[in-house]
Amino acid sequence: MDSGIISGIVTAVFIVVFIGIVWWAYSKGNKQRFEDAGKLPFDDDDSQGIPSQRDITPAKQGDKQ
Amino acid sequence: MEATTYNYKVVRQFAIMTVVWGIVGMLVGVILAAQLIWPDMLFGIEWLSYGRLRPLHTNAVIFAFGGSAMFAVSYYIVQRTCQVRLWAEKLAAFTFWGWTAVIVLAAVTLPLGYTSSKEYAELEWPIDILITVVWVSYALVFFGTIVKRKTKHIYVSNWFFGAYILVIAILHLVNSAELPVTMTKSYSAYAGVQDAMVQWWYGHNAVGFFLTTAFLGMMYYFIPKQAGRPIYSYRLSVVHFWSLNFIYMWAGPHHLQYTALPDWAQSLGMVFSLMLLAPSWGGMMNGIMTLSGAWHKLRTDPILKFMVTALSFYGMSTFEGPMMSIKTVNALSHYTEWNIAHVHSGALGWVAMITIGSMYYLIPRLFGRESMYSTKLIEWHFWLSTIGVVMYIASMWIAGVAQGLMWRAANADGTLTYSFAQVLNTMYPFYGIRLLGGTLFFGGMLMMAWNVWQTTRQGRVVNDAPIPQAVHA
Repeated sequence: MDSGIISGIVTAVFIVVFIGIVWWAYSKGNKQRFEDAGKLPFDDDDSQGIPSQRDITPAKQGDKQ
Repeated sequence: MEATTYNYKVVRQFAIMTVVWGIVGMLVGVILAAQLIWPDMLFGIEWLSYGRLRPLHTNAVIFAFGGSAMFAVSYYIVQRTCQVRLWAEKLAAFTFWGWTAVIVLAAVTLPLGYTSSKEYAELEWPIDILITVVWVSYALVFFGTIVKRKTKHIYVSNWFFGAYILVIAILHLVNSAELPVTMTKSYSAYAGVQDAMVQWWYGHNAVGFFLTTAFLGMMYYFIPKQAGRPIYSYRLSVVHFWSLNFIYMWAGPHHLQYTALPDWAQSLGMVFSLMLLAPSWGGMMNGIMTLSGAWHKLRTDPILKFMVTALSFYGMSTFEGPMMSIKTVNALSHYTEWNIAHVHSGALGWVAMITIGSMYYLIPRLFGRESMYSTKLIEWHFWLSTIGVVMYIASMWIAGVAQGLMWRAANADGTLTYSFAQVLNTMYPFYGIRLLGGTLFFGGMLMMAWNVWQTTRQGRVVNDAPIPQAVHA
């Protein structure tokens, strides 16, 4: 097997893997799961009783910083 | 009994040392920049000569400043997004003292001239072993915490940290394989072009996984937090993660264009480097778009300015990198100051700025305050850094292109048009501008130190940050 065939096979495998990842990431079944994961940083309040409203402030309200 | 608070102590230790090592590492950088203009300024003391300070600078900024920052934020984020206290806290404490010992040993041995001569891996074999022990402990603490998490999902930042910890372990073990001769001298296990390839497989992935993957994990947490909204597309971050890490691994040969490395390996490195543009920019867009609908915050929030500017520099340098890996461009750029411009666009513009922004978010929380002592000082720091980086990289770009063109200029009879000394002479004004830019950036770090000092003085040490007990389903 010459290096051209190997390159071809490797390239094809890489493309299939990439398409697989994209398909997996954007499949309907995984939508909710990824949305939940994306909210993880906001699932706990890190202000330790400090009266801060900065976390999860609706965007339309002005930020006082 | 189950812990009800987070471990902030180790986070705090690393966060403070991030600022300290940042100042030390950048000070050495400023000294080096001055030495290139005034070679004799340190009276020819061999311990402070350019060749010995240079690895001290790179080790200090990458592994001391960047490394401490990564320990701090990964310990913080893994706890907060897994909603559990660190696993094996004694081991976590050991990583702090162990890592700090590595840095101190580096600061002693490098000026004394002990070096394995491998770029970004100069430390001699006993220190290499200590690094391995610390790193394995780090991996145990980090993955142990992931295993005992209370949340269902593993947040994307932790995926990036996990990849970084794993790959750095592999890189360090493979690249530092060496034969000890005495306590202070060893020889690489590799020779010739294999040694070069292993070195740059390591070197490039140190950039890829230490300075990119790890800091992207930082970005994926602190930008959403500071902007007050979740990441623009979590699904894009998943594709970003897998494609970036997969492609980075193969790009190392671009450091060896036109060398004894086989031609096919050079081309392979170039092709993978070009492909890297796609995931890099995907990640950058993901971070920047997180601000959509909250752009007004950029006007008033200097922390967000740091973070978004960092992403802009990330975008710039990940465009520049693939371009420089193209063989014909590389023929001009390699071995010139252009490389220095590229590296600092990434290191100061991306790594340092995302770190500084994140520290300004993190440090008040570790000291029971809502914000830093002075927001105005952060604003000043931002502008000093930005102007400093721009001066630095613009001067080095011009210097590098001029240098490359002068080196390759030939007369009709084939002799070189310019001698090496003539080219060096052309560099002087640009070295001056670079020194000024670097000094500005360093000055910003001093402001940060003052601001952090005042914040800690007026705050209280937080050791009782509660873990939320009502865990969501």
